[in-house]
Amino acid sequence: MLGFKPKVTIDPALYAGVKQVAQAAGYATVDEFVTHLLEKAVADVQRAESEAEVRKRLQGLGYIE
Amino acid sequence: MITIVSGLPRSGTSLMMQMLQAGGMPLLVDDSRPPDQDNPRGYFEYGPVKSLETDNAWLPRAEGKALKVVSQLLYHLPRRFHYKILFMRRDLDEVLRSQEEMLQRRKTGEGPPRDLMKAHFQHHLTTLDGWLSTQPHLAVRDCHFRELVQTPEVAILSALEFLGLDLDPKAMSAVVDRSLYRQRAR
Repeated sequence: MLGFKPKVTIDPALYAGVKQVAQAAGYATVDEFVTHLLEKAVADVQRAESEAEVRKRLQGLGYIE
Repeated sequence: MITIVSGLPRSGTSLMMQMLQAGGMPLLVDDSRPPDQDNPRGYFEYGPVKSLETDNAWLPRAEGKALKVVSQLLYHLPRRFHYKILFMRRDLDEVLRSQEEMLQRRKTGEGPPRDLMKAHFQHHLTTLDGWLSTQPHLAVRDCHFRELVQTPEVAILSALEFLGLDLDPKAMSAVVDRSLYRQRAR
């Protein structure tokens, strides 16, 4: 992964909106803003997955219904 | 004030409940889960806790008592009460080994591989810790299982100072049976 610089293609109109919001929110660059959003989105999904697995485990052990 | 003993399953919550009882603290428990091979001295649980998400009408019965609530259900404690939570912390590998043995005995399926389950529990605890620190109706004190077993006097003093209760520390300490500490990290 070292040196690997992935690129993602998005609709130009969406990019313009993202750029506007990024500037208004005080981000130095669109890249920084998008990275922050994606990190948060990935963390949210992982958290939801973890809570679901923890719940299954607790049910299996008889601690919740 | 309601005293809550919480943590992951197999983190020492039953031991702490037993200690509080020995020290003179009233517990809210029933006989919904009798002692077995996994908890030879009992689970010290109250059956309705399992349905806390959908029914908390019984919670006033816990006023002035200690109640065991597994970690994921802490989110559902209603804000109209105040709680002091003793949160049991134990090495996650020990917790997982113990849970796996319990799951095998219960024949309820093993679930994800241990490393993945460990990551899920880490996520769960990180999220929960962040949430707990922002809840005005909850006061939390961590209690480390290993310390509770190896130097119970120290852990008990910390717990009693937090709870502000005049319990019998010697009677609490006498409860510890090191032979039951079966999943010690290798």
